[in-house]
Amino acid sequence: MSDCDKANRDAAAQSHGWLRRLALNGLFIAMAIVLSVVERWIPITALVPIPGVKLGLANIVTLFLLFYAFWTDAAAVSLLRCLLTALMFGGMASLLFSLGGAMLALPAMMLTKAGYPRWFSVIGISVAGAVGHNLGQLGMAALTMKSLAVFSYLPVLLGAALVMGTLTALVAGPFFSAMERTGLVRRN
Amino acid sequence: MRLRPKSGDWVLAGLILLVIFLVPLVFVRQNTGIVTAIVAQDGAEIARIRLNGLADAIHVTYAGQYPGTILAENGRIRFQQAKCPDQICVHTGWISNPGQTAACLPARVLIRLEGTATGDVDVRLR
Repeated sequence: MSDCDKANRDAAAQSHGWLRRLALNGLFIAMAIVLSVVERWIPITALVPIPGVKLGLANIVTLFLLFYAFWTDAAAVSLLRCLLTALMFGGMASLLFSLGGAMLALPAMMLTKAGYPRWFSVIGISVAGAVGHNLGQLGMAALTMKSLAVFSYLPVLLGAALVMGTLTALVAGPFFSAMERTGLVRRN
Repeated sequence: MRLRPKSGDWVLAGLILLVIFLVPLVFVRQNTGIVTAIVAQDGAEIARIRLNGLADAIHVTYAGQYPGTILAENGRIRFQQAKCPDQICVHTGWISNPGQTAACLPARVLIRLEGTATGDVDVRLR
């Protein structure tokens, strides 16, 4: 086999890797959107009568990518998920808020993930993401309302982040372990 | 996959609980019994209502992309109806204590309750 053939094959393999990543990330975006739709069917406000509180199931996908792919995948998927869910269900206002949430949730999870498993468990990473998400949304609210008074809602949102982040992690943890046992994914 | 909480998890939870207990100290002023509701849209005040002793209910309507109506009664106020997609503002229900807020984020409308400072009470008893 000539050097030229080998170079061609390497290039093909590389582009396959790139295509694989693109296709998988598309799949993950779809999955995240489905999770954020499914989440609307769970009447969580019937259990905790706090307006605006949600489970954050779509965050499982971001969490998964942080563990089994690159942070760039996690960032791309969560940003595109925000964009697409806003286009489908919300509007410009909701896009602003979900972007504000994602912009803080991602770094919060990346930071705590760096401390895994020495300092943080999946619960800590998930809760940090939820706290970041809620802080980002509240920050966006303060900006659009031009008032800091919205921060009086902070304790409620932090409490919600603690509970919902833990619940999400309790769903994600066993799921991740099961995925690892299939041998399809390897932790980065 | 590790689910047993580690030290950092506990520190994080502790910090969250600390902030939960500290924030109300900043926002909730002493309740002197006089509560004023301030309604602002886009940061501009559109109504200021003294909630105590309101004989008749007051309706405040606001326009914009997602218009709605705010209802004030004696001692309490709420978003009555709104054309916003999420309806979070309406589901918030009545608010009545100083420091409380109700907001419609899509419409950029905020109701804020203030307790009157001790300096300007109507009647002072010795």
